[in-house]
Amino acid sequence: MAAVEQIGRAGRAAPRPFWTVGRLRVAALVVIFALWEIAGASGLFYRGVLPSSYLVVWALLGLLTSMDFWFHAGVTGLEVLVAFVLGCSAGALAGLMLGANRYVGAVLEPFLHYLAPTPKIVFLPILLILFGVGMGSKIALGAISSFFPMALGVAAGVRQVNPVLLRVGRTFSLSRFQMVRMIYLPALVPSLATGLRIGLGISIVGCLMSEIKLSRMGLGFSAMEYYRVFDIPSMLAVLIFIFFCAALGNVAIDKFVRLPGPQDRQKRKWSGFTRRFT
Amino acid sequence: MTIPTLRLTNVAKTFATGGGSVRALEPISLDIRQGEFISVIGPSGCGKSTLMNIVGGLIDDYEGEVQVDGVPVRGCHKSIGMVFQEESTFPWRTALDNVAFPMEALGVEREERLSRARDLLKLVGLDGFEQRFPSELSGGMRQRIAIARTLAFQPRILLMDEPFAALDEQTRLLLGDKVLQIQQELNQTTMLITHNIAEAVQLSDRVLIMSFRPGRIKRVLEIDLPRPRSSKMMGGERFGHYVAAIWEDLREEASKGLQEMERLRAGG
Repeated sequence: MAAVEQIGRAGRAAPRPFWTVGRLRVAALVVIFALWEIAGASGLFYRGVLPSSYLVVWALLGLLTSMDFWFHAGVTGLEVLVAFVLGCSAGALAGLMLGANRYVGAVLEPFLHYLAPTPKIVFLPILLILFGVGMGSKIALGAISSFFPMALGVAAGVRQVNPVLLRVGRTFSLSRFQMVRMIYLPALVPSLATGLRIGLGISIVGCLMSEIKLSRMGLGFSAMEYYRVFDIPSMLAVLIFIFFCAALGNVAIDKFVRLPGPQDRQKRKWSGFTRRFT
Repeated sequence: MTIPTLRLTNVAKTFATGGGSVRALEPISLDIRQGEFISVIGPSGCGKSTLMNIVGGLIDDYEGEVQVDGVPVRGCHKSIGMVFQEESTFPWRTALDNVAFPMEALGVEREERLSRARDLLKLVGLDGFEQRFPSELSGGMRQRIAIARTLAFQPRILLMDEPFAALDEQTRLLLGDKVLQIQQELNQTTMLITHNIAEAVQLSDRVLIMSFRPGRIKRVLEIDLPRPRSSKMMGGERFGHYVAAIWEDLREEASKGLQEMERLRAGG
């Protein structure tokens, strides 16, 4: 292995290009900010619609130091977390049942399949009646949203488990529980990761959307409040904060919900979490 | 009289299909003694995989009886281990953890199962690759992991279903030598399903030649070549004689199979 790499390096080493992927990413960000500044200063837009980026950064710093903002962030964070956990675990369970039982799958899956892309916001009036204007209705909408991609993804994942691996399990006389723990679960990790990633995004959408529609607290509410008083820098700062948190959540899912592989040999500590389940 | 390690008594199988039933296997009776290496060879569609799946326990509604050491068995059984033709290693486990898999299922202590897995990897010539994942290894190495994993189950009978079919000819020969060496060292009773004539002669004490559908044993050929054997014997005169004898029997069956295949293709 090492020898091969050395040969690869020694023989005809191509000059390293200046525009590496990392540098291009930084450059792309710089270009986006520059375009933003130029567009804002050009006067083509109504004043205040595109505030200068430093105003937004300033507003963001202001938000991050205010107790009020953290209250709203906490409310939304809690809603998303509960909705995500409820929706994804219910979805994973439903997916397992759909995938494991051919008849249940054949009967119920078309419903899920066609309901999945419907905007769940149409359920909001019902949820408001059921759970009230507070956090309950937001959590419910977020949970319903993340349920579908998880259920469909896991159901497909169960059916795609390599049949040879199942035969291997049978010849080693694995119990039903061992089959699930030692073969199905690890084989499902990629589907679970995809389901979690889509589920996280969509439960954030669900919670924020219902906050924007009708609420007295949460980040969706505070963004709308800033819009109402036309404090565009603060509104954008809230959006940037939401974007950043969502990205962080995705990074965490990528990091922890994956199978052990060659990359783990160097840094065992990261694989500790998933290894315990496989 | 000693009890055979594996005894098949009138084992037969009929598959129910949409338009009736297909007789896959005519009654087969067979005794395999401890430490014997037996090959089953036949054309595609002769029911040799059906036979293998019956013995391995993956098919459990069949006629007749399978006995291991005189005790009737049905369904997957601890005394029988299988190696499959397809890629069957767990991609999320290292080579070592793959081999330790059946011992983990049996509840063997971690230290003990890892040390035994290490020994088995050494036996199949993969020492130094313990921490590699299957994606980093060649097809031949992965198949050796699968063999070591099945041996870790300590089966009385090792069943191999065309384990080298997906490999290139040279790897196949070298792996055949490896299997011979292992079989010798462990005195492992082994049943190999193959469609490769040279492989059957190289490895076996007895070769079962099966007829085209419905499958039945057409002939049993004792391979009276000295042991230990290796792929180097392939040039020998007697080796060639056995290969020719098997092909003589097989040619007719194989061409029946081919005709049947072409007829089906022309019809559908």
